[in-house]
This record gives sequence, structure tokens and C-alpha cells, in this order.
Amino acid sequence: MRHGPFIFLGILCAVLASWLGAVVAPQLQFGDQALLKLDDLGIEYPLARNGEAKQGAEIYRAEGCNYCHTQQVRSRGEGADIARGWGKRRTVSRDYLRDLPPMLGQMRFGPDLANLGERQTNATRLLMKLYNARIEMPGSTMPRFPYLFEARKLRYGQAPSTNALPLPAIFAPPAGTEIVPTTAALQLVAYLQSLKSETLFYEVFPPQPPKKTNQVAVAVGGTNAIPTTNALPATNTAPATNTPPATNAPATNASASP
Amino acid sequence: MVLVVLSAGWLLVAGVLSLLAAIKLHAPGMLADYAWLTYGRLQPAAWNAFVFGFASLAGLAIALWMTARLGGTRLVGTGTIILGALVWNVGLKLGIFGLLAGESTGIEGLEIPRFASPILLLGYLCMAAWVPITFGRRRPGEVYISQWYLLGAVFSFPWFFMAGHVMTVFLPLRGVLQIAAQAWFLQNLLVLWFGFLGLAVIFYLLPKLTGVAVPSRNLALFGFWTLAVFGGFGGLTRYSGGPFPAWMLSLAVVANVLTVFPVYAVGQNLLPGLRNQGSALKASVPLRFAAFAFLAYLVAGGLGALNSLASVRYTTQFTLVTVGLDQLTLMGFFGMAALGALYFVVPRLLGRDWPRPAFANLHFLLAAAAVAVIAVAFLGGGQAQGAALNDPELPFINVVKRYLPFASSGTLAQLLFLAGSGVFALNLLLALVACCRAAWVPAAKALVTPLSAEVKA
Repeated sequence: MRHGPFIFLGILCAVLASWLGAVVAPQLQFGDQALLKLDDLGIEYPLARNGEAKQGAEIYRAEGCNYCHTQQVRSRGEGADIARGWGKRRTVSRDYLRDLPPMLGQMRFGPDLANLGERQTNATRLLMKLYNARIEMPGSTMPRFPYLFEARKLRYGQAPSTNALPLPAIFAPPAGTEIVPTTAALQLVAYLQSLKSETLFYEVFPPQPPKKTNQVAVAVGGTNAIPTTNALPATNTAPATNTPPATNAPATNASASP
Repeated sequence: MVLVVLSAGWLLVAGVLSLLAAIKLHAPGMLADYAWLTYGRLQPAAWNAFVFGFASLAGLAIALWMTARLGGTRLVGTGTIILGALVWNVGLKLGIFGLLAGESTGIEGLEIPRFASPILLLGYLCMAAWVPITFGRRRPGEVYISQWYLLGAVFSFPWFFMAGHVMTVFLPLRGVLQIAAQAWFLQNLLVLWFGFLGLAVIFYLLPKLTGVAVPSRNLALFGFWTLAVFGGFGGLTRYSGGPFPAWMLSLAVVANVLTVFPVYAVGQNLLPGLRNQGSALKASVPLRFAAFAFLAYLVAGGLGALNSLASVRYTTQFTLVTVGLDQLTLMGFFGMAALGALYFVVPRLLGRDWPRPAFANLHFLLAAAAVAVIAVAFLGGGQAQGAALNDPELPFINVVKRYLPFASSGTLAQLLFLAGSGVFALNLLLALVACCRAAWVPAAKALVTPLSAEVKA
């Protein structure tokens, strides 16, 4: 038996098989997944980020935030993510359509950030956290990012800038100096505040609590069917225009839901 | 030999980077003013320096040497191999500096920036192409198991390396499909590339040094092919519960559980040879390294299969367990196997023994202790971390307090491993100096002493 070519072909087939099974088949299944139209004005989910937040994503990537923070929420049976308030629903593939690269992360040295923008709307607190996480949370192990801030000398009698960090006394710089966020820090915060994946659509339709009697009249028939009459209940971002999602989504996505 | 020296150098670099990263995990204030040294940059730099600097170069050196040795022939293409090693080295240096400068691709395991990864592939081809060519010139006769594993490793690497980088960096897929490609890449890297290389070393060193032949060739080939077929599918267990269709996650779990077969085949084949070998283990450092690697393989394989189950992942997902298992495979199994092989190969290449045998013993103790600390602390600490994460009433800062002692012991482990590497590098340096002196001293003497003919004249 000629071993060289035999092993070569065998290994080629093995690598190819796993490639086909683990990468190509999913690509065929939902590689053409479309953005979800939320209303008639052309707003699509996932929401597009503005330029500042896009720049911020680059900083998130360069600083390697994803080595300690995940951006994925598991469903109730798979962990306490939802119970911890990290999201109202699990994340699905559609949430990452605009991410390049998607930074899911594998490690939770810090909390999950998939919905940080939903729960932290105060940019100053995020800036303070980046400057030194121990200001707000003594004992935090989060790295400090002083190089995203600028220490500026104030001239005698000059009033501090409006965007200077309101640092408590023990963390404050020497008198006559102020700490001002750089553009990079502001971009990063813009990105962090753009992290939202709580919009509901049929793939992630949350398990319904037992229906109250006065609502039964609406949901007649098979309970597994995609609701068409009252679609997109209570989305956070979209105005309630009652667009039936079934008409906008490609058929392949139905099987993508767990 | 160039490869060995380069890999030893990278071993030290990786050790320093890992140590810094490990310290920063529990002392965030240290060196915080330097953007280049933030944890999120150090961590991938350390991983890449270890994986592509030390482990892959040492693996290639061993692959080339063993192919020639087992085939009973001379290695061909040495000039190109040295050139390839230098090209690889340049590519990796660019890559790691790029990473530290914030040019990471952001995809874990594939962080090497796009300007460096093609250079790495080029260097790889210059080096590894000579493995099959040398293999083709072997003495007629039966082919050893180790040669199968070597060829398997050498053939698999370029495919998944290229495909992984193309699908995530050069022509990125959309959304989470990139993550599917990344998981596939990582699985191939750990299971096919390092798995095959490490098993090649173990299947060579253990029978050779104990004098007990491998009992069943068919079982070994069964292990080879089952690993090749099932190995690549299991990557997505890293993202258990993640944003993927359920069938993808289930497929990965099934494949990962099936890798119990190759692990069983390896254990069944090699365990009998290690019985009652206490004296041989005491006498031979390479054998000790290889035996340790073998045990680490069994443990990592078994736990890896167990950890792919969703019920186990409920606790272990996103915790230190993931890191612990990766390190157990990378350092405990492959690192130890490669070091054992280097302890075996270098004296045969240089034609002289290690100058300080005691250093080798010390290195084994340090490295083994490092792996043991990481395995126990991270696997145990991950359980504590997971349990704390799953208690929604516990504030996050208390979760941090639960896992921090375990994560901090990573510093101890990295310190031990680095000390061992330092001892190894020193020993290697002494061997090289001794070797060079033996080669150069007569030549230098000949230069300064006049030839006898001139003296007469």
C-alpha cells in the first residue's frame, strides 16, 4: 500500500467532512439571513450603528474586551443569564448580523455585555468605569484604561471642562489637573451603549405565560403557530405597527430557531 | 537545530507574556498605563506565542527529525527548511507586535493580523513540505504508527489554517458563521494538529524507551482514523447555549463524545507498556515527559468529552474550566510531549549529551507542577465560578471573589513553567556552546598555529 497519498487523501477527506458539516452546512442554512424589517419606515433589526459606535467596536476589539466579557445570553434552562438581568431573551444568530467580527467571547471574568446599552444609559458612569473600575466597585479586577483619557493642566483660575470626569477625592488627579476622555473613550462608550439585543421577533418569542381568559379570544387554534395578529409584542425599539414578521423573513430562518 | 533554538526562544517569550497576563488578571493596576500591555492584548499574544512560536515550531522540528529517523534516511531540503523557519519567525513576530499594537482580528485563536498570517503559511509550506518528501524516500518496510500521525498532522494544518483565516478575516462569513468557523479552526488546531503531533511523539518515545512494543497496530489505526473523522466536528461545544441552531450544537456534542474512542484506543495501546516501568521512568527524562503527556492526554480527552454535555456545560460554560482544559491539552499534553521529544532529539542531533542532566530533572518537576496547578485550580475553580454565576442573587463582585483565588494560582503555574523553560533554555545554550567550542576550537587553533610546512620553511 502506498501510504503517503493514502494518508493525504484520507486527511483531506476528514478535514473536508468536518468543514462541510460544521461550517458549510450552516452557511447554506442561514448564510443569507436577512435583516428584519421592523416597520414601514425602513428600520431594520439589528439596528445600524452610527459612525462613532462603529469606531468604538474597533477599540473594543483592539483592547481585547472579549477575553473577559461575553456578548451572548443563554436561554433559561442553560444558565442564569436571564435571571441575572443580562437580557430578556436568549440571543440568536440574527442579533449579530451587523457585527464584524462578532465578539461572542468564551469567558466571563466580567459580566455579559449583550444588553449593556439597555441597562446602562449613563455615559459618565461607563467612562468612570473605564478610567478605573474600582471607583464604583472596590475589588473589581477590570483593567484600567488611563490611556483612553487625557490629564489636562488647568491654568490658574480656569474652570474645568464640562466633560471632565467627576472623580471622587481619592481617585482625583493633583489639584489643577483634570481628566478628560479622549475621542477613543467616547467612541468605546458609544459602542457599549449600542449593545442591545432585546428586540423580540418570532425566533425568540418568549414562552408565553398561561393566557388570561380575556385574551384567549385572540389566540385561537394551534398554540405553536407563529402569531400573525399581534406580532412583535412590546418591542423596545419599534413603534407598534403590527407588521406580521412572517412576510419579511426568509423561510430558512424558521428552522434556525432552537 | 535552528528550529529547536527558535522554538526555545519563543517558549521563553510565551512564558513571560503568559506570566504578565496571569498577574494582570488579579492586579489590574500593574503597568496599566501601557496600552501595549493591557490584559486583552497580552492574553492573545501569550497564546499565539505559545501555540505558533513554541509548540508549532517544536512540533515541526520533531516531525522532520522523526520522519528521517523512522524512515532510515537523511532529511532532504535542509536549506529550504531553515529559510522557512526564518520566514515563519518573521511572520510571527510581525503578528505578535501587531496584536500588541491593537491590530488583532478580534477572533479568539485567529488573532494574527491579516498581514502576518500569509507569511506564516508560506514559512510552514517551506518547512513541512519536506516531511512527505523525506517520507517518500524511506527504507522499504512497515510504516510506524508515529509516521501516520506525523503525516496526518502535516497534511491537516495547511487546510484548516488557510480555511480558518479566509473565512474569518479575508472573506469573512456573516455574523455568527464566523464564530462557527473559528470554533472549527480551534478544534482542528488542538485535536488534529497538536493531537496528531503529540501522539506521534508518544507512540515513538514510550515503546522506544520502555522497550515494550505497541500491542495492536489495528487498534492504533482505528484510533487514528476515528480521531481524524470525529475530531474536527466538536468545536462548537465551546459555544454551548450560544446563538446557533440547535442541530449545530448537538452535532458538536455527539462528535466530542465520540472522540472517547480514539482516547480509549490510545490508552488501551500504551497503558500496558507503562506498567512496572518505575526504574525506566526514573532513569529517562524524555520518558517521564512522554508518560506525563500520555496521562494528560487521557485526562484531557475524557474530561473534554464529559464537558461537552449540556448538563455539565450548565455550570462550566464561560468559566475557568474552558481555559483549564485548553491548557491541559496544550501545555500538559502537547507541551510535555514536545519537551520530552526535544530532550531525546537534541543530544542525537548534536552528538553529545545534555551538559547538565540535573537541569532536565528540575525542568520536569517544574513543568509537571505547573500543569498540575493549572489543571486542579482551573478545573476546580471553574466549578466554583460556574456555580456562583448561576446564582442570580449573588452580586457579580462576589462572583469575582469566588473565582479570583483560583485564577490567581495561574500566576504560580506560569511562574513555575517559565522557570522550567529558563532551565531548559540554559541547558540548551550550554549544549550549543560546548558543541560549537568542540567544532571551532580546532579550527581556530589551526588558524593561529602555523602549518608544520611553514614552520620548517
